[in-house]
Amino acid sequence: MSKNNGKPEKVEYEYYQPAKKRTFGEMLYDPQEGTFFGRTGKSWGQLMLFYGIFYIVLAALFSICMQCLLSTISDTQPKWQLKESLIGTNPGLGFRPLSEQTERGSVIEFDGKKPAESDYWIELIDEFLIDYNHTEGREMKHCSFGQTHNPTDVCVVNMDLFGACSKANNYGYKTNEPCIFLKLNKIFGWVPEVYDAPEKDMPEDLTRLITNTSQEERKQIWVSCNGHLGKDKENFQNISYYPSQGFPSFYYPYLNQPGYLSPLVAVQFHSPPRGQMLDVECRAWAKNVFYSGSARDRRGSVTFQIVVE
Amino acid sequence: MALRSDYEHGRADSYRVATVIATDDDNRTADGHYKSKRKMPAKAAKKENLDDLKQELDIDHHKISPEEMYQRFQTHPENGLSHAKAKENLERDGPNALTPPKQTPEWVKFCKNLFGGFAMLLWIGAILCFVAYSIQASTSEEPSDDNLYLGIVLSAVVIVTGIFSYYQESKSSKIMESFKNMVPQFATVIREGEKLTLRAEDLVLGDVVEVKFGDRIPADIRIIEARSFKVDNSSLTGESEPQSRNAEFTHENPLETKNLAFFSTNAVEGTAKGVVISCGDHTVMGRIAGLASGLDTGETPIAKEIHHFIHLITGVAVFLGVTFFVIAFILGYHWLDAVIFLIGIIVANVPEGLLATVTVCLTLTAKRMASKNCLVKNLEAVETLGSTSTICSDKTGTLTQNRMTVAHMWFDNQIIEADTTEDQSGVQYDRTSPGFKALSRIATLCNRAEFKGGQDGVPILKKEVSGDASEAALLKCMELALGDVMNIRKRNKKIAELPFNSTNKYQVSIHDNEDPNDPRYLLVMKGAPERILERCSTIFINGKEKVLDEEMKEAFNNAYMELGGLGERVLGFCDFMLPSDKYPSGYKFNTDDINFPIDNLRFVGLMSMIDPPRAAVPDAVAKCRSAGIKVIMVTGDHPITAKAIAKSVGIISEGNETVEDIAQRLNIPISEVNPREAKAAVVHGAELRDVSSNQLDEILRYHTEIVFARTSPQQKLIIVEGCQRMGAIVAVTGDGVNDSPALKKADIGVAMGIAGSDVSKQAADMILLDDNFASIVTGVEEGRLIFDNLKKSIAYTLTSNIPEISPFLAFILCDIPLPLGTVTILCIDLGTDMVPAISLAYEHAEADIMKRPPRDPFNDKLVNSRLISMAYGQIGMIQAAAGFFVYFVIMAENGFLPRHLFGIRKMWDSKAVNDLTDSYGQEWTYRDRKTLEYTCHTAFFISIVVVQWADLIICKTRRNSIFQQGMRNWALNFGLVFETVLAAFLSYCPGMEKGLRMYPLKLVWWFPAIPFALAIFIYDETRRFYLRRNPGGWLEQETYY
Repeated sequence: MSKNNGKPEKVEYEYYQPAKKRTFGEMLYDPQEGTFFGRTGKSWGQLMLFYGIFYIVLAALFSICMQCLLSTISDTQPKWQLKESLIGTNPGLGFRPLSEQTERGSVIEFDGKKPAESDYWIELIDEFLIDYNHTEGREMKHCSFGQTHNPTDVCVVNMDLFGACSKANNYGYKTNEPCIFLKLNKIFGWVPEVYDAPEKDMPEDLTRLITNTSQEERKQIWVSCNGHLGKDKENFQNISYYPSQGFPSFYYPYLNQPGYLSPLVAVQFHSPPRGQMLDVECRAWAKNVFYSGSARDRRGSVTFQIVVE
Repeated sequence: MALRSDYEHGRADSYRVATVIATDDDNRTADGHYKSKRKMPAKAAKKENLDDLKQELDIDHHKISPEEMYQRFQTHPENGLSHAKAKENLERDGPNALTPPKQTPEWVKFCKNLFGGFAMLLWIGAILCFVAYSIQASTSEEPSDDNLYLGIVLSAVVIVTGIFSYYQESKSSKIMESFKNMVPQFATVIREGEKLTLRAEDLVLGDVVEVKFGDRIPADIRIIEARSFKVDNSSLTGESEPQSRNAEFTHENPLETKNLAFFSTNAVEGTAKGVVISCGDHTVMGRIAGLASGLDTGETPIAKEIHHFIHLITGVAVFLGVTFFVIAFILGYHWLDAVIFLIGIIVANVPEGLLATVTVCLTLTAKRMASKNCLVKNLEAVETLGSTSTICSDKTGTLTQNRMTVAHMWFDNQIIEADTTEDQSGVQYDRTSPGFKALSRIATLCNRAEFKGGQDGVPILKKEVSGDASEAALLKCMELALGDVMNIRKRNKKIAELPFNSTNKYQVSIHDNEDPNDPRYLLVMKGAPERILERCSTIFINGKEKVLDEEMKEAFNNAYMELGGLGERVLGFCDFMLPSDKYPSGYKFNTDDINFPIDNLRFVGLMSMIDPPRAAVPDAVAKCRSAGIKVIMVTGDHPITAKAIAKSVGIISEGNETVEDIAQRLNIPISEVNPREAKAAVVHGAELRDVSSNQLDEILRYHTEIVFARTSPQQKLIIVEGCQRMGAIVAVTGDGVNDSPALKKADIGVAMGIAGSDVSKQAADMILLDDNFASIVTGVEEGRLIFDNLKKSIAYTLTSNIPEISPFLAFILCDIPLPLGTVTILCIDLGTDMVPAISLAYEHAEADIMKRPPRDPFNDKLVNSRLISMAYGQIGMIQAAAGFFVYFVIMAENGFLPRHLFGIRKMWDSKAVNDLTDSYGQEWTYRDRKTLEYTCHTAFFISIVVVQWADLIICKTRRNSIFQQGMRNWALNFGLVFETVLAAFLSYCPGMEKGLRMYPLKLVWWFPAIPFALAIFIYDETRRFYLRRNPGGWLEQETYY
């Protein structure tokens, strides 16, 4: 408590009174005081000037910080990679065609008899494959399993090996046997550890395929597609994979090489049931690709839906 | 002449002048407005009831003959009521107890907490969440339960904060229960000729009751028999004098007549028998209590401020929410997305934890005040004293000790000042002069008062005494001066006694002489000074007996006038040694047929008594005045006494004159004095009766020092209303039932914990446990401090709103992945910001807050545009910049360079996109980029915590530099550590990524916010530096909140 020994200060008692009420019109513009929204032009000016300077200085500070940030960041490789980065070491799968209308989600719905519907998807795939089809002027190499190659080399993805899933065949959309292109997500510096022998929980056809593949060609990240959550199994008996049922390991690692193209696997669904949603889950198989199929925590796999009217 | 009646004042003088209001009070002010805003004519029934209570008492039970009364109540003075009749009456009238004031039902209180404030907005948010979820659930097979989760969290937040504030509120309202008188009152009743002891509640009309000293009167009774019966009406009328009561009808006014005694007053002397004439709520006390509980009190200033603030924030939230809802539509978002944006904006805008913070701050202050003897019943009242601009204080018991004490003595032709302080620290006087010896001998012997037994350890002044207040004062004074009074009385055995009566106005006793060699008897007399002087022929001056000549009479008169002018009650003392030849040892003195001289005595001196001010009061009044608070005395006591006390405590300061004083000094009639010249005014209740509200306004406006004397409860109410009409925030202090309507009407009513009546405590918002006016100063100081600190606390909390809202706006407008989620916002508002915000309540004042005028309730708002400008426009913006910078750092370091982020939102949030490409060609699955996004949320959150460090430190002061203020607020330092530890815990504790979507951060991601924290600190230190350099300058007008 303050000790106040001297004479009390002289304070004249004034009763406070409420400020006079203003009409709404006066609030906008008060001709008596010359105020707009309660301030005179000069007062507004001063305030704007103050805030103007304040925000310019703040923007400058922010820009300086951003410059510092960008100066620490390389153009060619991410600052944090693999385990250090939040992208981690577990690539997922991507599929095409993917509608640009995000609200359509991952549903591929068409009727091969209706050109408008099938052309929509065909165009999407065309667009996606532009880079694959126009490789002129790029320094690329035809890689194969036997060769050793430089990590900086870019391997060709040969579009002639896609069989029925070729442009000429309209990727099967006109014949109601659609092809879906799968690719493994690129992760900077990631190197696959492939399964060169069948695993217990692999589907039968994949197990069979691996055993039938020569030891050399087993250096692949295998792919299998199936009915999601185990349903619609009978509809997945008739699936073809082009050019093979896996991504050859010689495409890896991805190091942001100029002109790098992800290897693709085209999956063709033969005679899918009409007017029914086909819930597909495709999965990549490698020792360092971990799988989780839950909706919230999907890893090493992808789902999409096919509806053929 | 006024002085002539000094001895009997409080007895013969009338209370009627104060209590009868000539015009009916129609609950309207003079200009026709309703006095209390909320009471509209629609509430006719309630209003009439209240008006009825505002009327003065109109009964005739005291006028009619006793026989008629017995007839009326079908009772009998000896036998009382029959049991059957008593039972019938009890069933008809109900118990003889005051109806407790209506309580708001608990569930209503609870609902208010559950739906008041920001709760409504959050409920809307929660409901929108549930709606969004149910729509998602019905349209998609795998709905994300984010919205369900958020809805549950929001509901939980509202319910928990609601329960919390309800709990705090009910805790403080429980304080009253400790005051409830648990000991049942008993009364001695005669029914069917039998004496019974019944509980006071069981009394009925017509019961014949017996009362003896020490009892509380159990109901309003008409006295039919009395033996030297006296009652203390102070709690009802404010008069500190005990009043004698007997069977005589002496006055038209029921409050004035001697044959009525009132419910809940105390019998202090004698015994009496009476008939119950009214019970319970119909008693005088019951009516005043009813008047008090019927008054509407309106909102406390802090409640107004908080409502203002809530409206402001709600307005901003709704405006922003709706605007962006519409913008989202225009931008072509799905309506469900727009709804989710709306929820986000509401959650970001509402400072969820703030109201709980305010409650905790107020509770902390209430606790601190309780430890300083200010018990706060209503939590919001904590701040009210701080806003108070006028204090209307009762005199008796609040400003004064409520204990008659000898203040002055006049002997040997000089006035001696006695020590009236409570702890006997005042001046001492010479106790050896023969004049004092003679005077003290009379005061000791001619005195019937005695200390009550069993009080050995109690200081003399605090001991309870049986007997008249002035005799008690003399007894205590003599005990202090001479020592063992009872022993002196024993040595001078009382032979005969002529007790005081109102016709003679003196009291005589005859004693043995303590000197064994002197056989003479000693006659001592005391009484009204002029009567005593009449009976004297000599005067004892400086050890010599002199003839009482005109010169001496002149000296006597001057002394008498002077002491009377001090508002003191003066008694004259004289003695006489009875000559042993005429009155030898063993002489039979006859007091009925007086056979001893009571004339030509020896005059010895005067002693004057007053109920002295408490020691701490003058200092407290001075502090109030330096704090710009007007102190008005409102008392039921006499103008002279009131003025004297007002002067001695500084309510009327030295050199300030009233109109009467000026008139007297200039020797002109009062009507010729310009009232504007007089700063002080003493207004008599009788004058107040004829005053219109405009005139009352003038009195209140043009006089800075005002004393209202002889005021009735209704007039106290009118004075309080007058002050409120002037725009003042009024505190009323009082202890009596008569004060309770004013206590209730006041913005803050302060009752006395020890002397206060239950009704006054019921009506008050605050209770001074030590009955000390000085505690009010503590209250004012604490109230002002908490107001300042709440500003700081709110400024601190609101600042983080900008970094909370801006991510949403950027999300919608720039199409970037969401930088900060709703759950993290809740973690800030209800987690890391809470403890630091509360710790600001412990901040010390920056300057002497008792040297500045009270705040202007109309313009000095808790949350004003300057605070918003500072919090939102300046500091908040720097904070938002910090948050976004950290966001860009994490995005860029993981692969998404800033320019890559704009427009990416749709793809980012689409579950179908499992391969979103970043700036380095890496492809991100939905899961991985959500991890990245949530890590950004966490980092944004951490960066807000980092910049809030700086914000907390700058919010410690509004004008001073932190280097002046220091970091001694350990609660705040703890707050800094706490928020950091909590933030680290939320980020690093395993499992948080599942529960709250918080991910562990790399240590380096704590640092990007630091330059911004430094910027905040440096900016604000600079701002405050210029604030101090240029007081009143542009910067102060625009940024000093």
